[in-house]
Amino acid sequence: MNPFWSNIFHSSGYEETLAYFLSTMPMFKNLDKRELAFLENIVHVRNYEADESVFGEGEIGSGMYTIRSGQVQIYNRDEQGRETEQAVLEPGDFFGEISLTASRPRCASARTTETTVLVGLFRTDMLEAVRRHPAPSAKIMLGLNRVVSDRLLQCSLQLETLKKQLADDHKQQANE
Amino acid sequence: MNSQTGMSRAQVAVLYLVLTMAIASGIAIYSSASTVTALLKTATAGLFLPILLSLIVSYLLDPVVYFFEGEKINRTLSIFIVYFLFFSLGFLLLLIIGPPNWKGMMQALKADFPRYISHAIEYLSGLLMAAQEHFPFITNYNLAERLSSASQSFFGLILKETPRSAMRIGSLLLLVPLFSFFFLRDSRRIMRSLISLTPNRYFEMVLDVYAHVSWQLSHFIRGRILEALIIGIVVWMGLSLTDIRYAPILAIIAGATNLVPYIGPLIGMLPGLVIALVDLGMGGQFWWILCVYVLIAQVLLDNFILIPILISKVSNLHPLGVILAIVMGGKLYGIVGMIIGVPIFSILNIFIIEIRQNRRSFNPYNRYFTNRGKLL
Repeated sequence: MNPFWSNIFHSSGYEETLAYFLSTMPMFKNLDKRELAFLENIVHVRNYEADESVFGEGEIGSGMYTIRSGQVQIYNRDEQGRETEQAVLEPGDFFGEISLTASRPRCASARTTETTVLVGLFRTDMLEAVRRHPAPSAKIMLGLNRVVSDRLLQCSLQLETLKKQLADDHKQQANE
Repeated sequence: MNSQTGMSRAQVAVLYLVLTMAIASGIAIYSSASTVTALLKTATAGLFLPILLSLIVSYLLDPVVYFFEGEKINRTLSIFIVYFLFFSLGFLLLLIIGPPNWKGMMQALKADFPRYISHAIEYLSGLLMAAQEHFPFITNYNLAERLSSASQSFFGLILKETPRSAMRIGSLLLLVPLFSFFFLRDSRRIMRSLISLTPNRYFEMVLDVYAHVSWQLSHFIRGRILEALIIGIVVWMGLSLTDIRYAPILAIIAGATNLVPYIGPLIGMLPGLVIALVDLGMGGQFWWILCVYVLIAQVLLDNFILIPILISKVSNLHPLGVILAIVMGGKLYGIVGMIIGVPIFSILNIFIIEIRQNRRSFNPYNRYFTNRGKLL
């Protein structure tokens, strides 16, 4: 379509809003519009340049980030200073969710690889929200909990298969 | 010579130019900054007290507003409800008790004040005479004269300032509810937008430090004000049992001076004791009043009940810091500065402690935690 006409018949622009973006996240997908508006008020939108550090391994974290646009690289650094890349995250992914509930050190570093917009949800805001608006906060926390426990489940399944593999390897070695 | 310093002629010239420019721009910045600060000072001259008071009021009212806030009632409506409740409560109190007889009390005080002062001076000069008998090398300081003139000028100042302060109180009555309304409604939004200005690297730290500082600050202010209020009420009740006059004024003085730690209560009980000595004599009532001031208000109530409950959660200042804060505040802003100095010092103290804790928590992770975040 001609861009002129597509501009006129453009939808309301809800797809562009922060609330819509949040509703596409797996942990916030069960929230209704009012709760999304509430969530919109407690998150912080942060803009990052390319190659900027979001947080470093071992720092006391204070919250989680979701990627609205751009790209984030998660990596570890060993004693010699060599970096091993753990993951490259794309828009819609999230990271750092461990620090949302308790002040634990970050277990990996994160840095942006291009110009990135991150949406941060932090513990202090979450604690205040739990105190002031328990019902929507409980829903947000439940959604987060669902995602985190899914990850935990997958992790333990993987661990199980790895253990089995290890045991098989040991048996083979013993047989040989 | 140039070869000795290792610089060519051109380099020396450039260095000279750069230094001159640096000095010139320094002077320019300094002078413009001083004009700007002078402008700011005149612009904000009358706003310091109203803003401070409305900050305190908004800290005090925040829990009440939060109590009414809910699913159906948003924050603005809840603030209006709280305002309505407080104003109607004050109005009801005025209706029931009737407005206090300020004018009569003021006039009586005007008549009585010189008498109290002269008695106090008499007593003090007696003490001085005794001291001179024992230590003859103390020169005659002529304390009586100085004290009486100082007290006369002080009282004259109070009388002169009363109409002016009436206007100030009127403007405060208008400004403080207005300011505290907006502080109550929008403080979160204001602070969020301020915090969002911090660079990404320090954002998390600033957010955490702000949360801690505001928690400590709210508890500190609420605790202090409640403490002063309770002390004032208790002193009022204790004094009302005796025949002493001006019990309400003395109670207000006791409560207000209680905001200044250590020195405040001592100063606060002085006028009460003087009035009791002059009017009632060294009888049982005087000892009861002393008991009210020292034992009941300070030792029992403040030390054993109020401070452990209200203030113990907040990191307290070192006594030396308290005294420094009082002296410096008094130098800067007089009596108001003495009252404000300690809280401002405490705020700075809280800031420093929080930032230091946060920095520490940024550092020693490899000592207390494994790389994966488990406690060792």
